[in-house]
Amino acid sequence: MEKDTELNHQDNIGNSLEQDRAWAESLLNKQNLSQFNLSTTEAPLNYFESFPDQLMNRIESEKRQKLEKKNAKIFFLPSFMQPLNRLAIAAAFIIVVGGSFIFLNNSVSKKTQAGIVANDISIQELSNEEIESYVDANEWIAEIDVQAQMQKENSKLSSLDEKQIEEIQKIITQ
Amino acid sequence: MASDQELIIQFQASINREANFTALLNKHQQKVYYQIKRIVTDHADADDIAQQVWIKIWDKLDGFKMESEFSTWLFRIAYNETLNYIQKQKKQGTSHSSSDILDYENATASTDSPKSTEIQIRLDRAISQLPEKQKVVFMLRYYEGYDYEKIASIVGTTIGGAKANYHQAVKKVESFIKQL
Repeated sequence: MEKDTELNHQDNIGNSLEQDRAWAESLLNKQNLSQFNLSTTEAPLNYFESFPDQLMNRIESEKRQKLEKKNAKIFFLPSFMQPLNRLAIAAAFIIVVGGSFIFLNNSVSKKTQAGIVANDISIQELSNEEIESYVDANEWIAEIDVQAQMQKENSKLSSLDEKQIEEIQKIITQ
Repeated sequence: MASDQELIIQFQASINREANFTALLNKHQQKVYYQIKRIVTDHADADDIAQQVWIKIWDKLDGFKMESEFSTWLFRIAYNETLNYIQKQKKQGTSHSSSDILDYENATASTDSPKSTEIQIRLDRAISQLPEKQKVVFMLRYYEGYDYEKIASIVGTTIGGAKANYHQAVKKVESFIKQL
């Protein structure tokens, strides 16, 4: 029975404002409802008179702050100085400096190692076989040097006249 | 007095922007404040939310296309800002339960008999315990006399949904009063 009346009320909801109000008042008491409205529609004295000025001041100050932020971005923080970009630049700088430091360090240590090896090996420690194989491998360079020297001497002899040749032969026979 | 539409057109055309905005503000500020205060009950909270609402209106009024009534758009923003505020307060753990901050002395001051005072306190507590949507629908229908179409646009529901919320709100308040 109670459920039926509830359904009837629900069907009647929205038919008219007066009906909706009357139904609520029948359940909740009109006087109490109007009393509740009074307590929720209170505001401090002169609140509504001062509110527009307060609000406009706040809007003005927020506008100024936004403008200042915008200007600060334009003049003091170009895009490459934005926080994220700054991090990327710093990371790239560290990679370049660190990478070149590691690379240079490696090549220097290789060179010094080679120097240390060369100094440590003396000719006494080499075996005959090692020396011979080195000479065999490098003999042709020595031959080229000898031939070049002989050509030089021949060109000097060919430029001598007969008298000078005779004098030289005399010195040799003496 | 100029209509909302005229004031908005002039604002959007950058003619006396501040004066036209202030005219809109003066016309609607009380209703906005009361709508907010009925949900949060505390004046400081209601004032803070009302300022945020009007700042938003100032920022977005240029883009308002007048497809709906200005007041519907305004109350919808007020409703959403109030819900956001309550959610933030809940996250920060600083939310006051509406029933905690009911001013019982105010409620008793203007009532005639002890019995009516008791019923008044019960009614205040019962309404404050309603879910926000039901509370707003009840207030807008019963106290402001808005039609369900407008109420549905403000709280973001269907007309049927708004009617159901009104019905549930009244029934819940009735049962809260009986329980207390």
